[in-house]
Amino acid sequence: MSSYRYGRPALKSTVDVQLQTAFSDGNWSSVVRLATKRAATLKDPYYEAIKMCAQSQLDGTLEKCAMLVAIDDLVKAKKTPDIDTIELYEWACRDFFDYEVEYADTLGPLRARWAKANPGSPLALQCLQSCLENWDLVSAQQISTSLDKAYANTSDRRYMFWNIILTFLLSISPQCTDASRKVYSLLAVRQLERAADLTENSAKLEATDRGLLTEEEICLYYRVLHSHGTKEEFISRLKSPKLGAIGQLKDGRKVLFCEGLDALEKWGEWDLIYNLCREALTLGLEGTTAPFFVCDLQIWRKFASAASKTADSDSALAEVQATLKKYVDIKDQASAMYKKNISLALLETTFRLPATALNPNHDNAGLSPRVVQIGLFLDQYFERLSAFDDVKSYVAELGFDELKKLMEDVLPKILDEDADKARKIVLKALECKLRYLLTTCPQSLSPQPVVDGETKDKLFQCRICANATSLLCESCLKKLLVDASETYKQINGDKELLAAIPRLDKDPRLDLALVMGTSLLKLSKLQPRTSDATQSLWQDVEAGPFLQAVLLLDTQLRETPGDTELRLLLVQLYLLLGCVSYAYQLWTPLDVKRTIQDSLSPLFFDRISTLSPGLIQGPRPLMGPLRNFYEHSLRDKSPVRIWDAFSAGSYTSILDMTEFDGNLRRSCTMMMTLVEERRATRCYGGKIDCEIEEYILTENINDDTNLVGKTDYGPFPNLESVHGPSIHEYLRLGPGLSNERSHLGFLSEQYLDLLSYKPPKDYKPANASAVALRDREYTLETLTRLSSSMTTFLHAPTTPSLLTPAEHTYYTTLSLLSAALLIALSTPRSDPSPKTLSMVTKSIKTALTTLRTTALPHHHPRPGPKPSSSSPAWTSYTGTETHALACLHATATAIKHSAAFVLTFHDRELARDRSGRSGLHRDVLAEMKALGEVAGKSAAEVKGWIQKLKEGLAEGGWLDRVLDLVFGDQNDDQDGEDGVARAVEEVVAGERARRSGRGGWWRVGGRA
Amino acid sequence: MANFRRFRPDDLNKLSKCNLDPFTETYELGFYLQYYAKWPSLFQVAEDQHGNIIGYIMGKLESSPDVYRFSEHYLPWHAHITAVTVAPEARRLGIGKLLTEQLEVAADANDAWFVDLFVRVTNYKAITFYKNMGYSVFRVVKDYYGEHSTDPSLSSEDAYDMRKPMKRDVKKEHVRDDGEKHEVDPSDVW
Repeated sequence: MSSYRYGRPALKSTVDVQLQTAFSDGNWSSVVRLATKRAATLKDPYYEAIKMCAQSQLDGTLEKCAMLVAIDDLVKAKKTPDIDTIELYEWACRDFFDYEVEYADTLGPLRARWAKANPGSPLALQCLQSCLENWDLVSAQQISTSLDKAYANTSDRRYMFWNIILTFLLSISPQCTDASRKVYSLLAVRQLERAADLTENSAKLEATDRGLLTEEEICLYYRVLHSHGTKEEFISRLKSPKLGAIGQLKDGRKVLFCEGLDALEKWGEWDLIYNLCREALTLGLEGTTAPFFVCDLQIWRKFASAASKTADSDSALAEVQATLKKYVDIKDQASAMYKKNISLALLETTFRLPATALNPNHDNAGLSPRVVQIGLFLDQYFERLSAFDDVKSYVAELGFDELKKLMEDVLPKILDEDADKARKIVLKALECKLRYLLTTCPQSLSPQPVVDGETKDKLFQCRICANATSLLCESCLKKLLVDASETYKQINGDKELLAAIPRLDKDPRLDLALVMGTSLLKLSKLQPRTSDATQSLWQDVEAGPFLQAVLLLDTQLRETPGDTELRLLLVQLYLLLGCVSYAYQLWTPLDVKRTIQDSLSPLFFDRISTLSPGLIQGPRPLMGPLRNFYEHSLRDKSPVRIWDAFSAGSYTSILDMTEFDGNLRRSCTMMMTLVEERRATRCYGGKIDCEIEEYILTENINDDTNLVGKTDYGPFPNLESVHGPSIHEYLRLGPGLSNERSHLGFLSEQYLDLLSYKPPKDYKPANASAVALRDREYTLETLTRLSSSMTTFLHAPTTPSLLTPAEHTYYTTLSLLSAALLIALSTPRSDPSPKTLSMVTKSIKTALTTLRTTALPHHHPRPGPKPSSSSPAWTSYTGTETHALACLHATATAIKHSAAFVLTFHDRELARDRSGRSGLHRDVLAEMKALGEVAGKSAAEVKGWIQKLKEGLAEGGWLDRVLDLVFGDQNDDQDGEDGVARAVEEVVAGERARRSGRGGWWRVGGRA
Repeated sequence: MANFRRFRPDDLNKLSKCNLDPFTETYELGFYLQYYAKWPSLFQVAEDQHGNIIGYIMGKLESSPDVYRFSEHYLPWHAHITAVTVAPEARRLGIGKLLTEQLEVAADANDAWFVDLFVRVTNYKAITFYKNMGYSVFRVVKDYYGEHSTDPSLSSEDAYDMRKPMKRDVKKEHVRDDGEKHEVDPSDVW
């Protein structure tokens, strides 16, 4: 680390005490005075540098910039100052590097020149470090070349590999010119090829030899080869005895083997994958490596998958089975994890084998080898928390007869009649999960014959219950729900079972509650919240079962508060319902902080400004930690800790950290953070600190930047089969984060920044007319760019599927507004009335009307469940409506501000230029004024509706009315014959009986 | 169910199964990346079939600064286990043990004298786990933790510094049988 990072650089020891003291005290005027004197007396340019450095710390802009001019002169004159001077200059310039002064144009070249002239000095290393920390790859590569030459015959091998890796990094960096890119690519590959050949051809390498020795060096070679070499070269080397994947495995090195297989899989080189897996697994059996060294599930999967794709797949699959059998024979020596991997490998191979190979007379009915294998696996592992997840994908592959056999014959026989009660309950919970899974598998349905002319909403017949059904068999779900609730109640009513729960991997009631909850959500007709999902939740969804699901899961969370899956599920459900404060209460204990924020924060904060802007703005903004994470992690231009990786010779780490850093700088979550915060602030009329483009976090983001979404949906429970969407897709407000949505958010903020820009009050230009002209040009250029960019993103084929309908309207409106403003500001007064403007404003008004129709209830009577028909409209107001309402408000506000921007512009021009020539067209003004008025009315409507909502909530007793939505009025018989509502109610009430004194949702239990 | 491999920075986006567990600490980005940068072979993960990280171990190789070479508390070249965690759903499968063994292999490959770690003296489960793996208490670090895990009335808690000798320590010079009797202050630990 350079000394300047810790404070002022130390002056040379030859500098006198007086000057030293003044410098260390920061007494800059004295330093300037003394250094001027010393420079004159001693004729040493170092004192000039001290003087300039001190001047740069003074307030004057001229003095501050004098340093930059001096550096620029040095760079242009190709002069090389001494290292102490460079250190002084770098320290003095440290604040400029964040503001468009590129290190690569200033200090970097000076450092590179100095290191080239003094490669043997330890300070040359410091030059490399400085260049790397400022991510000046051009200078760093030059320095590393100098260092490599100077230390070519030493045992410190790092210099050679620093040079290679920096050449490679430069070749894939935007810092490299297109002309040089190929040269650097070739240079990196050829140097490594030479090193690889030396290793292959030498009996033994010494540390001073320029071959490949360590695992990191070898893996670097393959990474570079994969990027810049040919597939043939890669494959040829991967098969070689010393540097090949198997050779490395023999030396206990697994990284190359795994990375090699990944590369081969992408290329579809199945024969080689098969051979490598076979050889690697044989090494373990022979004792060349530890027995289970490569016994990972993914190796077995690749082995089986590759075998099925080879030319002679029958014998290859037989080989897979034979190898696996040998591992089964030594399974007893393995740890529990590898035993399980082997059991899963057995499952995997059974499912990859052609049916004829498993059983020549196989008719895909009944007790097939696949069912037997699942049975054997569950026999061993059904009590494990992950058992369902382990078998889920295999069960979903079974034919219907196999499924029937598994559920009716195999599963019940796993335990004897006299087995432990708790184990039986665990098995029962697993059975419920599998039954739910079956309802999501298409093989449980068969098409219904359609009678001529008859239209049916139930196009299928359920093969399980034989009832006519739509894609989802409600009858099976209801029966499952009732059964699960019976089991749930059985547990709660049995002290012995309750006492056994802590000894189990997981509380079976949790699984049962999840089955019941997701079944209810399906019964409520909830659909994945894709772009074509209706804006109103209750338009398609039945409130009763939906709210029963929420109530039931909420009740369960009180029983098992430590379960993160359930907690996250509920957070999403409450967000969907618009209960943001409560969702936040549930979110807080998850303690999503620091590093995991990038992947997990969108689960709560995405679209939060449209649900509850008040929650995230104020004296202690909730998104502060998220913004701090990015500001802290991306403060430097280089990847975090990159120098550590260079020092340690961790070459693959350097490559991975660079890639990770690049993704983090392009994070959709980061853009979400900035946009959501600003929207929330704007919603409350707050002051936005700076323009979105001025944030250091957005400095390198332009339309070509591919913003990366890394949201982690891993912690959600997922009982669904691969044939349908995951549960989280049903629960979020709309499509997840995406490049297109993030860009549109970024562009819309830029547009709003343009509208709200006001020059500083103390800015009084001498030539106001010239400045006004330039301002106008800038505005027109910005509008042209924004209009074009927004149109491009909006017209991308996938964009509509990545936005909610309300978002789509909002962004479309902003795109139209930028076009409207462009016309308004660029049409000369003397021209005829611009027809295109009226067309655009008409489209804007139509968009606004569309949003009003969706978001405001009196425009659109909401279909709702029975109880809500007699309730005020606000009782059926959920997160989806709030989101649309917020989008309407944002759209109306943007239109209002746009109109105001045009009118103010005109007034300003009239005030400046009394001739009136620079003012705007009369028709334009009329059009924009009318548009502003329409938007004003909409904004007022939103305000009025929010006021009504507030009043409704203040009335009291609303919770009772919500509870009526859950189970209906006491006199209603919502239960029907299926007994679903009663089953849910009994579970909830049962829990309440076990826990007294709860308010809120718990009051519902009083009915039971 | 599990694959064992070296950590990759992208795994930080898949940590939820481990790090949403309240007993697993989430660190700053620089902390994870420091370990990956300096000691990649001592940062191992277990992942499930969907790519979720269900266990990981972070370790480092170091010795005490040279200035302490003649101190009685000087630590020679050794590996240190900084963090090891397994997701709730993947427990009781020996993943923690396998990860620790992998770190020990890396420690041997780097010629370390021993592997050490700190554990709360009240974390009996972890202490038993490490003892079963051949670790023993080398010393007790008084008031090492700033808060007590089980007793809110106490403002600190002691730690056991546990060690397991590696192949280099043929004579078992860096372990002792009566480590519980050797107490040191946090300032003696580097």
